[in-house]
Amino acid sequence: MSRIPLERKVLGENDRIAAGLRERFAAHQVRCLNLISSPGSGKTLLLEKTLGSFRPDRRVAVLTGDIQTDNDAVRLGRYGFPVRQITTAGACHLDARMVDRALEGWQLAGLDLLLIENVGNLVCPTSYDLGEEAKIVLLSVTEGEDKPLKYPGIFSRASLMVLTKIDLLPYVPFDVGKAVEYARGLNPAMDVMELSAMTGQGLGNWMAWLDSAATHGMP
Amino acid sequence: MHEMGIAASLLDAIRAELARYPGARATRAGLRLGEYSGVDRESLSFCYGVLVEDSGLAPLALDIEFEPRGRDLDLIYLELDDE
Repeated sequence: MSRIPLERKVLGENDRIAAGLRERFAAHQVRCLNLISSPGSGKTLLLEKTLGSFRPDRRVAVLTGDIQTDNDAVRLGRYGFPVRQITTAGACHLDARMVDRALEGWQLAGLDLLLIENVGNLVCPTSYDLGEEAKIVLLSVTEGEDKPLKYPGIFSRASLMVLTKIDLLPYVPFDVGKAVEYARGLNPAMDVMELSAMTGQGLGNWMAWLDSAATHGMP
Repeated sequence: MHEMGIAASLLDAIRAELARYPGARATRAGLRLGEYSGVDRESLSFCYGVLVEDSGLAPLALDIEFEPRGRDLDLIYLELDDE
């Protein structure tokens, strides 16, 4: 009996494809952001408001992932920018191969921002590198403020936490201070932003953050 | 939820390493599993147990080394039957 020491990534094949995507994004100066949250936290509405706020000549595209239906691509496709649905047919996350396939036929040279809306899930998408420059986690105030403690994987990796639906704060017992404290306890460098895509409150900060990320890299 | 896919990827990784040792049979594999890897240990053990039976690699035990606050999901050793 002999033991062979190894250091092999179990998701090495996904990581290899993601590294290829990252190289392509860098070669064309495309900033790629991976939006992750629970189902119903407001990813699609935020992206709708985001696309609706861009000038028509903005070089942006969206990939949106769901287990079934192309409903989100229909919603997001109304704003005149390239949008593609990735339907995972049961898989609870996007992986790098899905993104690679979904990009077929798109000229990355014509983009400077690629937004990926992951499948609604705070666990599984955490494991899969998509070649993104940053992960962004959304947490709606209708969820518990202890989500960062319950799902430390994504909150420890995300560069930005967006607290959504803040127009509902008067009606729900969500403690913003606690949510931020829990998240920064895991990830002290994390940026935090509060907004309501419904009312537009805080949307300006989000758009400024995106512009900065697209122009200068991660803030 | 995605542990079945992770278990399949783990078996692929084991096969790839075993290919470097023609004729060898693995009896035990070691996995480092980070607390923040996004993978549930119990669920992964269950899925691995199901998949390994039909993999052509059984019996092949899996040791999981839990890494507090870690993110790793790495195959860290194989034990080979030299006989």
